[in-house]
Amino acid sequence: MATIGKTYRREISAAAALAALLVIVAIIAPSFFAPGNLRDLIVNNLPTLLIAIGMTLVILVGQIDISVGSQFAVCSVAAGVLAKTGLPMPLVFVAVMLIGGLMGALNGTLIGWMKLPSIIVTLAMLVMWRDALRWITEGAWVQGLPENFQWFGLGQSTGEIVIFMISLLLFAVFAWSLRNLIVGRTVYAVGSDAEAARLAGINSPNVVFWVFIIMGGLVGVSALLNAIRFSAIPGNSGVGLELKAIAAVVVGGAAITGGRGTLIGTLIGVALLGTIGTALTFLGINPFWEKAIQGAIILAALASDVALGRLEKNGRSDLAATTSPA
Amino acid sequence: MDEAISQPQQVPLRTEQDWSARLFPNNEWILLIVIAVECLLFAFTGNNFATTGNAFEITRLSVEIGLLALIMTPIIITGGIDLSVGSMMGLSAVVMGALWRDAGLSMPVAIVIRLAVGLLGGALNAAMITKLKAPPLIVTLGTFSLFRGIAEGLTRGIENYSGFSPSFLFLGQGYVGGVVPTQLFIFVPAILFFWWWLHRTAFGRSYYAIGFSQEGSRYAGIKVRRRLNFMYCLSGLLASLAAVIYVAHLGQAKSDAGTGYELTAIAAVVLGGASIFGGRGTVLGTILGLLAIVVLQNGLRISGQPTELAGILTGVLLVITILIDRLSRIGVSRITVSEEEFEVKNWQIGVLSGVIIVAAVIVAASNWMLVRSIKEQGGGATSATQRQNAVTPAGKKNVIAMMPKAKGDPYFISCRKGAEEAAKELGAELLWDGPTDLDPAKQNEVVEAWITRGVDAIAVSVENKEGISTVLRKARAKGIKVITWDADSEKDARDFLINQATPQGIGETLTDEAARIMGGKGEFAIITASLSAANQNEWIKFIKQRLAEKYPEMKLVATQPSDGDRDKAFAETQNVLKVYPNVKLIMGIAAPAVPGVAEAVKQSGRTDVKVTGLSLPNMCKPYVKEGIIDSFVLWNTGDLGYLTVYAANALSNRSFKSGDTMIKAGRLNEIEVVGDEVRLGKPFIFNKGNIDNFDF
Repeated sequence: MATIGKTYRREISAAAALAALLVIVAIIAPSFFAPGNLRDLIVNNLPTLLIAIGMTLVILVGQIDISVGSQFAVCSVAAGVLAKTGLPMPLVFVAVMLIGGLMGALNGTLIGWMKLPSIIVTLAMLVMWRDALRWITEGAWVQGLPENFQWFGLGQSTGEIVIFMISLLLFAVFAWSLRNLIVGRTVYAVGSDAEAARLAGINSPNVVFWVFIIMGGLVGVSALLNAIRFSAIPGNSGVGLELKAIAAVVVGGAAITGGRGTLIGTLIGVALLGTIGTALTFLGINPFWEKAIQGAIILAALASDVALGRLEKNGRSDLAATTSPA
Repeated sequence: MDEAISQPQQVPLRTEQDWSARLFPNNEWILLIVIAVECLLFAFTGNNFATTGNAFEITRLSVEIGLLALIMTPIIITGGIDLSVGSMMGLSAVVMGALWRDAGLSMPVAIVIRLAVGLLGGALNAAMITKLKAPPLIVTLGTFSLFRGIAEGLTRGIENYSGFSPSFLFLGQGYVGGVVPTQLFIFVPAILFFWWWLHRTAFGRSYYAIGFSQEGSRYAGIKVRRRLNFMYCLSGLLASLAAVIYVAHLGQAKSDAGTGYELTAIAAVVLGGASIFGGRGTVLGTILGLLAIVVLQNGLRISGQPTELAGILTGVLLVITILIDRLSRIGVSRITVSEEEFEVKNWQIGVLSGVIIVAAVIVAASNWMLVRSIKEQGGGATSATQRQNAVTPAGKKNVIAMMPKAKGDPYFISCRKGAEEAAKELGAELLWDGPTDLDPAKQNEVVEAWITRGVDAIAVSVENKEGISTVLRKARAKGIKVITWDADSEKDARDFLINQATPQGIGETLTDEAARIMGGKGEFAIITASLSAANQNEWIKFIKQRLAEKYPEMKLVATQPSDGDRDKAFAETQNVLKVYPNVKLIMGIAAPAVPGVAEAVKQSGRTDVKVTGLSLPNMCKPYVKEGIIDSFVLWNTGDLGYLTVYAANALSNRSFKSGDTMIKAGRLNEIEVVGDEVRLGKPFIFNKGNIDNFDF
């Protein structure tokens, strides 16, 4: 048991924070736990969860991707435009995933193969994709989508189940393979020590390259699953999504320096940050404080990590943790 | 990091290197070429780009971001990062505003306290980074949300401090000796200080050592933690100083000050040759990087190019610079003779020239398209309206510059259609530019560029009354006709207002519609734009006033933000429906919010809840037909744009002047003018019966 406590130390503290929040809500506003509300809460946060899965992989290999919000907007609009050409929905799904994957491949080439710093490359992409999209669409919405676009033409309740099942499936596949497959373990190996991984025969640049492609593909899936909940697509969605995803991953216990973190933690992080906004409304607290509380939670997660770490007296070098985030 | 070992300047043990290596250790000279090419290009394509006035204007615009970029330089040199500086600006802006106005402190005292707040915020970052040994990226990501959140919480998003004394505003808006912008007297010493500090003192040089290796620096006797503490505190302090200048520049202190500035500052530093891994970077490089970005933005604006290009080109430039840097360093680190280094450098120039040529082609092509479309118009000048209006005294075309609050907002996109229609009929040239998202600072920037460019008329939808009025007065002083449309500036800063509806009129119509639907009693909720949106807050004020006067049995139970995002409006509405189950009506008062509200109500299956608000017909059409949206309020946005261009054109032709009681506006026939307001008419109520007649 002690080892489980140690391995999932961060995840446990994030889960404790989530539990505390839920207990407070349960006492003050029990209507929060009405099935309808939980269903809405889950469906609303699934797109963020998908992005956060990809972000976990990116952060595990010691990189970061701040361009996902812009990629999300590009994929959303692309989904609408493709659906309007009369393409069947399964093909639209595949095409949007490919478009996301291509954008990810561009990041992956520059970061993995050319070894450019990920924060700068994705900063450039954040600006470029967003501005290119604005230039082309001039902010216009994609309207007049075909009948079978919203909920894949299956109706709301079935559609919500489909979205849930796709997300659950992806989460399970990634969580399992990250733990149990060699491919998954190489992601940890590269993030812990790229040089050691290379000596162990792992092609580190290739791993980074593919992680970014997966990130892009997940952005595509997320954008499509989000888009099909509505009957029109805004030209400017996903602003600030990257910060949401990164915050969720970090709150969930992943180390920004790479090599440490789990998808269970990310799930808890998404749940925690996604619940706060709704919980505040239920508690009757002014929405003005939402951002401040989110910031405080990120800092608290960091502080608790350090405090717990000191208790365990893990003999890691003092200064090792302060080295550059890249 | 491995490139720390392959540093070229570590190799020679000579005490003095070539002057070029000392001045440009990271190939910053490339940026000089880029800036030179930009200037050359824009001197040809833009009007009045290459003037002293414009040169000073460019530097003025770069001061706030420049200060952030300066402190970001040592931070990045140590391998750290500070994402919280933009949010810090927002926090210290509202702290100063509150101290000065609400606590009645004098301005200098308020400034000192606010600088202390900056210092405190910086200290929080520093403590988390050095005491808790948390990565700077995550710490400052947390404080990025925290500082902005506190600023919004303190002001409830609504508070907007303005009415500062002229002597304070002089700091941000004035000219010393009539030409030199005041803030340069802060910026230039700051640059010199940073240059001296980082390049000429042992204290400053120690940051490079820390960037190469923290562990090594510690063994070498450098007090790493103290140095880092000092630097992050200074970062908070400088962000506050930037906020002082920002507030003086715009004449308002609001919680959204400095949004997104941190990214531009980081881009400038990295463009200037600093390595994000630490150990490299110069003050000169940072300044050149900053100029490359600002000149590009300004130049595109002056040549009437889409400003989205600035973002795209900056991104390309950023990637290319670090790519070249990476490749050249691989070349250098191989133990080879200088010949290969030469090859690499030639190759670098090749790539750079390529990029610049591509950019030039884009600019040239769009210019050519513009010229061609104008020629086509000129050739087909046969319609009656064109013969009537297009012939101005000198036979020249009027240049009408028109600015929305936000280019990406569907509301303004629909206004643009009408404006373009009018410009075509009149044979006038229409410049349509503005911030991509709500951003008062950007609005000032665009007007400044138009003044430099020299246009005949400027028509602005004003986001921040106090902030923009100074610039508009300047435009009027230069003989440019100024019109405000959609939202007004101060009265003496413009010739006419194209008034589609007063905030009071909108507030009252919305309330009356809500009352009609609800039968005059019950609970309702509002989904607004962002919590700091000035227009919406004004409307809410009049809605509350109207409720108190006429409908005491109606109760506004919640006002939730949507940030102009349809998806967020959707989620907020779902919450409202559950938390306040007695709500009978939800009012969305931002164009993208209403479809989100309607979709949420539809998916909840609550047929007893109705939706109303202020939005565009095309977005709402499906929901109106399904009966979810009972009705919504708006004016004909296309007509608004159309009328604005007609009025602007008539003003510059002197065929319309103060004192007239009506104006002829093409297909709208005669429009009433009262005093200095051109009245489009009352807000229109769209419902099931009439919505099919509209397509915008």
